Amino acid sequence: MDLVASRAYVDERRPIRHLDPVLMLTAIALVVAGFLLVYSATRRSLEQFGDDPGLFLKKQIVFALIGMVLLLFVASFDYRFYKVYAGFAYVGTIVALVLVQTPLGSSSAGAQRWFEFAGFQVTPSEFAKIALILMLASVFSEMRSVQPTMVDVVRAIGFAALPMLLVLIQPDIGTSIVLAAILGGILVVAGTKPRHLAALALAGVLLIGGIFRLHVIQEYQLDRLRTFLDQEGAPAALRYNLEQSLIAIGSGGITGQGYLQGRLTNLDFVPEQHTDFIFTAAGEEFGFVGSTVILLLFAVLLWRAIRISYLSKDPFGTYLAAGVASMFAIQMFVNIGMTIGIMPITGIPLPFVSYGGSAMLANLAGVGLLLNVHMRRFK
Amino acid sequence: MDKSASRLKLLALLVALMFAGLSARLWYLQVLASEKYVEAQNNNLVKIVRTEAPRGRILDAKGHVIVGNRASTEVLVEQQKLGDDPEAVLYRLSQLLHVPVRSIVDALGNKQYYEYEPIPVAVDVPQDYIAYIAEHRDDFPGVSWTDASVRTYPYGSLAAHILGSLGRLTPEQTDDPHYKDYSPSDLIGQSGLESEYERFLRGQKGYRKLLLNAAGELIRTLGEQEARPGLDIRLYLNTHLQGLVETQLREGILKARSVSEQNTGLLKATSGAVVVLDPHTFGVEAIASYPTFDPKWFVGGITEQRLADLKRPTAHAPLFSRATQAEIPPGSTFKPFIALSAIKRGIATLGGYYPCPPEFIYGTDTLHPFHNWSSSNLGSLTLHTALQRSCDTVFYKFGADFYDKYFADNSLGKAREPLQEDLTRLFGFGRDTGIDLPSEQPGLVPTAAWKAEYAKANPQLFNPDQRTWLPADDILMSIGQGFVTVTPLQLASAYAAIANDGKLCAPRLAAAVQDANGDDVRAIKGGPCRKLPFTHEQLSYIRGSLESVLHSPGTAAGAFAGFPFSQVAVSGKTGTAQREPFQDTSWFVAMVGGTIDDPDHIIVVMVEEGGHGSTTAAPIARSIIEQMYGLESGAQVIGGETTD
Repeated sequence: MDLVASRAYVDERRPIRHLDPVLMLTAIALVVAGFLLVYSATRRSLEQFGDDPGLFLKKQIVFALIGMVLLLFVASFDYRFYKVYAGFAYVGTIVALVLVQTPLGSSSAGAQRWFEFAGFQVTPSEFAKIALILMLASVFSEMRSVQPTMVDVVRAIGFAALPMLLVLIQPDIGTSIVLAAILGGILVVAGTKPRHLAALALAGVLLIGGIFRLHVIQEYQLDRLRTFLDQEGAPAALRYNLEQSLIAIGSGGITGQGYLQGRLTNLDFVPEQHTDFIFTAAGEEFGFVGSTVILLLFAVLLWRAIRISYLSKDPFGTYLAAGVASMFAIQMFVNIGMTIGIMPITGIPLPFVSYGGSAMLANLAGVGLLLNVHMRRFK
Repeated sequence: MDKSASRLKLLALLVALMFAGLSARLWYLQVLASEKYVEAQNNNLVKIVRTEAPRGRILDAKGHVIVGNRASTEVLVEQQKLGDDPEAVLYRLSQLLHVPVRSIVDALGNKQYYEYEPIPVAVDVPQDYIAYIAEHRDDFPGVSWTDASVRTYPYGSLAAHILGSLGRLTPEQTDDPHYKDYSPSDLIGQSGLESEYERFLRGQKGYRKLLLNAAGELIRTLGEQEARPGLDIRLYLNTHLQGLVETQLREGILKARSVSEQNTGLLKATSGAVVVLDPHTFGVEAIASYPTFDPKWFVGGITEQRLADLKRPTAHAPLFSRATQAEIPPGSTFKPFIALSAIKRGIATLGGYYPCPPEFIYGTDTLHPFHNWSSSNLGSLTLHTALQRSCDTVFYKFGADFYDKYFADNSLGKAREPLQEDLTRLFGFGRDTGIDLPSEQPGLVPTAAWKAEYAKANPQLFNPDQRTWLPADDILMSIGQGFVTVTPLQLASAYAAIANDGKLCAPRLAAAVQDANGDDVRAIKGGPCRKLPFTHEQLSYIRGSLESVLHSPGTAAGAFAGFPFSQVAVSGKTGTAQREPFQDTSWFVAMVGGTIDDPDHIIVVMVEEGGHGSTTAAPIARSIIEQMYGLESGAQVIGGETTD
C-alpha cells in the first residue's frame, strides 16, 4: 500500500476526521449564548423568591451536557442504520404521544404535555420532530421514481399528519407547525411537483380553517392569533406579551442596555422570557448588534445543514439533513418572528438558546444527525 | 446529489428570505423606532400593593397579652382626587370624624408621600362613619379607607412606661437608610419595647407587584408574596405582680400625702417608681412609675388637649419613666457599695471598728461639720452595725480617706479616683444598665474632671474656691449625696449583684421571641455580665448587715415591725436623699425570698418628696412583699418612724 492509499484507507475508517467543526462550534456558541440569556432572564425572579439565582442556568448546563453526550452517541453510529430503525422510532413516538394524553402524562394550562420522570419533564413532542425526520427521510429514500408520485406524497402526508394531529390536540400548535415545516422541507428537496405542493398548501389552509371551526384549538390560541392580526383592538392583557416583547427588543437600540442591565428583563416584565421569549433578553441587553450575532449564528448553522444535505452521498442523508435544516429554520423563524411581531405567538422555543431539556436534547440530536451525515459523506 | 441541488437552493432561498424578514424587522425595531420603545419602557408602571402583616404582641411571663391588636379602619385622602372644592371636602370630613381640619391638613402636608399616594388622616375610625362616607361618595371625592389594625391594651395602663407607642416615620427616620423598608404610612415602634423589638414585632408585609399601563389599567401581576406576621415578645414581667406593685405604689404615694414630717410639714409625695428584678436572670419582673397614663391615648396620635393635660406641672410628668430615667441621689442605699469599695481599696475591713459620732469634722475645718442623720453618739461600730444603723459619720470618714489617700496623693501610678472607678466599672453607676429599652438615663458618678467642666458651664453655682474637686465631694458621695445620682433600675441591678454573690448583668425586660403558637422562635440574649472582684465572705457579710437593717436597731425595723420573717426572708436598706429645693426622696431596697444569702427578688421603691426611707418607701415595699407572698397583713401604714 502506498502512502496515499493508506491515508485514504485511514480516512475512510475514521469518520471522526470529517467532523464539521464549523457546525459544531456554531451549535456550541448558540448553547453558550443561551446560558448567558437564561441566567439574565431568570436570576432576578429566582432571587426574589429566595432561590439560587443560578438555578435555571445550572439546570440548562446539565441539559446541554446530556445533550452533547446524546449528540456524540447519535453521530457515532453510521446514519444508514437509522433507516432500519426509523419505523421503530416513529411508532415509539406515536405511542408516547398517545400515552401522554392519558393520566400518565402531565400538563399545565395551555402548554405542551410531558411525562414526569424522576423530577425531569420529558416532552415527547420534541422527539416527535426527530422521529418524523427519520421516517420521512426513510420513506423518500426508498422512492422508486425520480420525482415523488402522488402516492408517495400522500403517504408522506399520512406519516406527518398522525403526529401533527396528536400534538395539535395537546394542544401544541407550535410543534404542529414545526412538523408541517419538516414535511414541507423534505417534500421540496425530494422534488415534489409544484402543483402537488400548491395543492398541499391549499389543503393546509382549508385544514387550518376547519380546525378553527371545530374548536380543536383553544380560545387563548385564537386570541393570540387575533392579537397578532389586530394589535390595536386586542384587550390589554392579551396585547401584553407582544407589547412587552416589542418594548424590550426595541428599547435595546443598537448596542443594548448591557448584560444583566435590561430593565424589563430584570423586572420580570416579559412572560416566559427564559423559554419562548428568550430572544427578548438578547434584544434588550445586547441590542441590534446582539440580535444580529444570534441571527448570524443561525445562518451559519443552516448554511452548514443545507451544505451537508448537498454533500451527502445518498438520498437518505440528503433528506435527513434537509429535514433537520427545516426543523431549525422554522423554529428560529417562528420564535424570533413572534417576539418581533411578524409571526403569531405560538409556543415554539428558540433552538439551543431557550431554557428546556427536551428541546435541547432533540436539537443536539439533530446536530448529531447532521454531523453523522457529514462524517460519512465519502463512505 | 446533483439532482437535488436545485431543490436545496430553493430551500436555501426560503431560509434566506426568513433571515431577510427578521433582519429588516429588527433593524426597524432596534434602530429606526428604538426611541419609541425606550419611551414605552418608561411608561410601564409597576405598582406595589402591600398587605399588612399583623404586628407581634407583647406578652407577660405567663403569656397574658399586655399589648395586642384590634382590627380597625383608617381613613385616607388622595389629594389629587379631592375635586373642585377640596376645602369643603376636608371640612366635611373633619366634621364627620371629629378631627380638627388643621390636623388633616397637616397630615396631607407630609412631604414623604408622593402626590398620587393616599395619605392616612385618621386612624381607628368607627364603622358608622365609614358607612356614612360610603353612602355619600359624592361628598367625599378622594376619600378612601383601609383596614389597619391598632394596638389594644387589655390591662389598661399596666406597665405603660415600658411598652412604648407606634407612630409614623419621623422626617429624620425617612432620611435614615435603616428605615428604607418603611413607607411613610407605616407605623413603627417609636418608643419603649415597641421600638426596641421592632424588628421582631413588625413582621413582613406581603405584596403584590402589579404592572399597569400608562392608563393605569392592570396588565398583569408580576409577583406576589404572602405577609409574614410579626413575632410576639414574651417578657419576664408578671402582670399579677406588676398590677399589685402599681397599686401599692399609688396607694402608698397617695397616703404619704397626708403624712407630715418634722421639718417639712405635709409630704408632697409627687411621684415614684418601683423595680422588681430577679437577681439570677436579671429579668425585670415588675417596673412601675407613678403617675402614669393610658397607652391607648397614643393610638392614632395623642390629642393636643390630652398632651397639654399631661404636661401641666401639677401632673408631675406622667409620661416620664422614673424607674429607668429619674436620676436621683441614692442617699444611704449607696452605703453597701461605698463599704465594698472601701474594703477593696484598703480603707475598711470586715473586722474593723469605726466611730459614729453625731458629726464628722474634716481635718481642722470645725466650721463645716458633716452631721449624722441622728444626733446621738453611737460609739464605735463594726461595718455591720454602721450599715444597720446607716451611720453617716462612719461613711463620711471613708469618703475623707478616699480623698486623702488617693485623690490628694499625687504619687505616680496610683489611681486617684478608685471610688468612682469601682462605682462605675463594678456596680454600673453613672452609665446605662443596658436594659432592653431605647432610652434610659445613666445617672452620675461625679469625678474631678466632670466637676471642673460642670463648674465651668455653671459658674454661678459655685464659689470660686469650690470649682475643683474637694474633700466634701468625696465625703458627701459616700452617703449617696452631693452630685451623685442613680436611677431606680441601676440601684436594683447593683443590689442584685450583692444578692447573687457578685454577678452584675444588664437587666432584661424580654425573655423570648415566640410565634403565634407560643413556641419560642429565639431567646433574647441576656445582657452582658461581669463578675465582681469580691469574695463570698465579703458579700455575705453585706447581706447579713442588710438583714439586720430590718431588725432593731436597724433603720427599717419600725417599718417591718411584726413582719413574719420566718415565712419570707427579707433584707434591705433605707435611704433618704436630700434634693434641695424639694422634700427628701424616700428610698428602700429590699432583697426578698429564698434565703438571706440567696434572695429571689430585688425590690427598689423610690418616692420623690416622700420623706425618709422608713416613712414611705419601706412601708410600700413591705406591702408589696406581703401581697407577693400572700401574707396576712393589715393596711399599708405610711409614716411611722422617721429613720434614714
